[in-house]
Amino acid sequence: MTENATAQPAAGTQPLLSVRHVSKTYGAVRALDDASLELASGEILGLCGHNGAGKSTLVKILTGQVHPDGGEIAMRDAPVELRDPLDAQSKGLAIVDQELALAPDLSVEENLFLGNFDLSLLRRPGAVRRRARDLLSRIGLAVDPRSPLEKLSIGERQLIEIARLVGRDARVLILDEPTATLSENEIERVFAVVRELVREGRSTIFVSHRLDEVLDLCDRVTVLRDGRIVASRSTADIAHRQELIKMMIGRELPPPQRSEAAGVAVGAGAAIAGLRVPPAVADFSLNVEGGQIVGLTGQIGSGTSQVLRALAGLEPDARGGFTLDGGAVRLGAPAAALRAGVAFASNDRKGEGLFLEKTVEDNLVATRLDSLSRLGFIRGGALRETARRLVDFVKVDGDRIGDTVEHFSGGNQQKIFLGRCLDREDVKLLLLDEPTRGVDVAGRAEIHQLIRQAALAGVAVLFASTELDEILDLSDRVVTMFGGRIVASLAREETNAALISADMTMSHERKEVAL
Amino acid sequence: MSTDVATAPTGPGPARTGAGGSREAATRGAFYGAIAVFAALILYGAISTDGFLTMTNVRAILSSVAFVGMVAVGTALIMISGNLFSLAVGSTAAAAAMIFLALLPHGIVLAFAVTLLMGVVVGAMQGFLVGGIGANTIIVTIGAAGLIQGVALWASHGATILPPKGDTSFDWLNGHIFTFAVPIYILFGTVVVLDQFLRRSRFGRRLKLVGENVEAARAAGIRTAWVVIGAFSIAGGLFAFAGLELGAFNESGSLLIEGTQTYDAIAAAVVGGIAITGGRGSVWQALGGAILIAMISDILLLRGYSEGIQILVKGVVVFAVVVLARLNRMRAES
Repeated sequence: MTENATAQPAAGTQPLLSVRHVSKTYGAVRALDDASLELASGEILGLCGHNGAGKSTLVKILTGQVHPDGGEIAMRDAPVELRDPLDAQSKGLAIVDQELALAPDLSVEENLFLGNFDLSLLRRPGAVRRRARDLLSRIGLAVDPRSPLEKLSIGERQLIEIARLVGRDARVLILDEPTATLSENEIERVFAVVRELVREGRSTIFVSHRLDEVLDLCDRVTVLRDGRIVASRSTADIAHRQELIKMMIGRELPPPQRSEAAGVAVGAGAAIAGLRVPPAVADFSLNVEGGQIVGLTGQIGSGTSQVLRALAGLEPDARGGFTLDGGAVRLGAPAAALRAGVAFASNDRKGEGLFLEKTVEDNLVATRLDSLSRLGFIRGGALRETARRLVDFVKVDGDRIGDTVEHFSGGNQQKIFLGRCLDREDVKLLLLDEPTRGVDVAGRAEIHQLIRQAALAGVAVLFASTELDEILDLSDRVVTMFGGRIVASLAREETNAALISADMTMSHERKEVAL
Repeated sequence: MSTDVATAPTGPGPARTGAGGSREAATRGAFYGAIAVFAALILYGAISTDGFLTMTNVRAILSSVAFVGMVAVGTALIMISGNLFSLAVGSTAAAAAMIFLALLPHGIVLAFAVTLLMGVVVGAMQGFLVGGIGANTIIVTIGAAGLIQGVALWASHGATILPPKGDTSFDWLNGHIFTFAVPIYILFGTVVVLDQFLRRSRFGRRLKLVGENVEAARAAGIRTAWVVIGAFSIAGGLFAFAGLELGAFNESGSLLIEGTQTYDAIAAAVVGGIAITGGRGSVWQALGGAILIAMISDILLLRGYSEGIQILVKGVVVFAVVVLARLNRMRAES
C-alpha cells in the first residue's frame, strides 16, 4: 500500500522542512507512527486523511503544541526542537487555525501586530501604519488599517491572519482547513495569496478535507491513514479526487445514491412565507415538501444560516409565516419549534450543538427528555433503549455509549449530534446547517446516507451548505441566496456548479454560463 | 425493540469501557483522593489532637455541618446550573430566621411555610434575572443581598427578633435523636432526596445540560430560563431552611447571624469538587466539602488556634483544592 511513500520534492534542492520518523502515542492510541516528509522551499504540500488519521497530531507537533515521542524535525537540515507555539513561530513555522486567533474588536493594524514582540515598546504609529500598509498590499487587501476587524468578512480576516504571520517572517505556513467557512470566491482570493507567497520562497502545508481544492492548489499531496503516511505524490499524477479518496480510506467509496423519496408524501411539509430576520434575511419564502431535500446555499453572509436558525426558534427578531403540515409554528421559541416537529443541527457543533463533557447517551437523548419521562421523572429503561437504538442508527460504536463525546473524532461527533435529530417519529422538518463541516469523506458519505434515510421516511429536509459538491450530491432542489434574498430556486436536474456559483455571486455572466 | 438487539454490535448492556473516558478517570481519581484526604485528616486528628475522636466532638462537628451543609447544597445546585454561586446566602438565611421567629405567634406551621416560601420566591426572582434575561449572577445576587438586608432592617427597626416567651413549639428542632441533633437528620434526608431527584428527574438531567452548555441546551429545545429559575428556587428554599434552623437554635434572629455563611457555602461546594464552570457535581460532594471544612476548623479549634488562623486555613484549603483539581484534570487529559 505504501505507494511511493518517500517521494521527494523537486530534486536537488535542500528541503526547507524535514520531518523524520516522528511518532506520537496517546494512551493506547498510536496517533502518529513513524511519519517522515519533506517540504521544499516554494512548495505547497497538501495533507489529507480521515478524521483521526493523524493530521492534527502532525500539525500540532509542527507548531510546538505537542511534543513527539520520537523522531526529529529539521529546518534546512538543521534539527530543531519546538518547545511551544511561540518557539515554533520564532523558527518560522506558523499556523492559520480553523478558529482564527484574532481580536474582532481591535483594528486591522493592531491585529496584524498582535503578539509581535519585534515592535518597539514605544509605539510609533507612523511606522506601524507603514508596515501595516505594506503587509496589506502584499496580500492584495485594500482596507484601511485603522478600521475594526469585525467590519471584514471571514475570508478577509483569514487573509489578515496570513498577513500577520508573514509579517513575523513565517517560512512555513500551515493552513488548517482554511476554507471550511469561506465562499467560493473568497477561497480563490486566499489561494491567490498563498500562490504569491510561495513564489517568494515560503512554503505552505494545506490541510483539508476538500480534495478538489487540494488537487487545485497543491504541488504534492501526502496522505495519512491510521497514523501512517501511506502515500506522497505529485498532484500532477492524480487525475481525480476518487484516487485520493481511495488512498485515504484504502478502498473504493460506493457512489452516492440519489434520493428516491420525492413525492412520497403529498401536502405534508413546511411552508415559509415572507420570513424576515433583520438584518440578515430580507425576504424568504419557500415550501419544503415532506420527503424532499432542499439545499440552501450562498456566500457567507447571504443569510442561509439565519433562515435555519429563525425556523428553529433561535432568532428572537424573526418575523413571518411558518407552518408545518398546515399548523402554524411560533417563531422565536426553540422549545415550541421542537414540540411542533422541527429538529435543528447548528453549524457550531461545539458551541451550540453537543454537550462535550457528557456521554454519548446523554447527548443522544437531550431533545427527547419529555417523551422519555413520566410525571417529571426519567424512565431509565426507555432512555437506555432509545440511546442504544440511536447509537446503532448513526453507526457509532455502541460500546462507547458511556464515553464522553469530547473524545470522539469530528465525524463521529457530528453523527452523534445528528442522531439527536434523526429517527424521531415526531420530526417533520429537519434543519441542518453545514451538516458535514470538518468531517472526512467516509463520515460524510454516512451522514448523507442518514439524511436521505430521513427524507425517505417522509421528513422535509432543509440544509445549508457552502460546499457545492454537497449541495449537488444531496439536494432535490437547490435554493441560492444572495444578500438575504432567494436569487434562484432550481430542481437538481436544472442546475450545475457553474450556475450556482454565478447565482451566489450575482454574477452577470450567468446567462453565458447557462449556455 | 427485539429487532434492535439483533442488529446491535456485540457488547453487554450499559457498556462503560472507560477507554478514552478520561473524564471518568478524573472523577475516579478525585473520589479516591477525597477518601484519602478524609482518612488522613481523621488519622491526623486522632493522633495529634486530644478529644478529637470523642463522641462529643463528632457531635459538635456534625452540628456545625448541619447548617453549613444545607447552604452548601443550595450553592451546589446553582453551581451545577452553570451560574457560579449566590452571594445572598447569608442574607436570605438571616431574613429567614427573623421571619420564622416573628411569625411564631401565628403558629409554627404558618411560620414554617411563609419562611420557606420567602426563600423560594426570592431565589426564583434571582433565577429569573439570571436565567431569563441573562443578567450577571454576581451582580444580581449582591443586589438581592442588599435588598433583603435593607427590607429586614427596615421591617424589624433594627431590633433582634426573639421568639414569644414560653413558646416551645420549635424546641423539637433543637432536640436530639440517638445523640445527634435533629438538623443533622434533616440535612442528610435532604441530601438523599435531592440527590435521587437530580438523578432520576427530567429537571436533574436538564440542569446538568444547561450547566455545561446553555447555548446547546437552548438549541436542543430546553427552556433554559425555567431550569435556572428552578435551581435558584430550590437553593433559596434551602438557604431559608438553614436560616430557620439557625434562628431556632439561637432563639434569636437578626442580620448578625449571617456570619460567614456565604463564604462557607461556596468554600464547601468548591472543596467538595463541584465544577465551578457548571454541568457536573452532586449534592453529596457539597456535603463532603462541608464536613471536610468543619473537621479542619474543629482540629484548629481544639488545638487552640485563634479564629484568624481558622479562617486563613479555610482559605488555604480552598486554594489547595482548586489547584489539585486542575492538576488532576490535566493529568487525565494528557
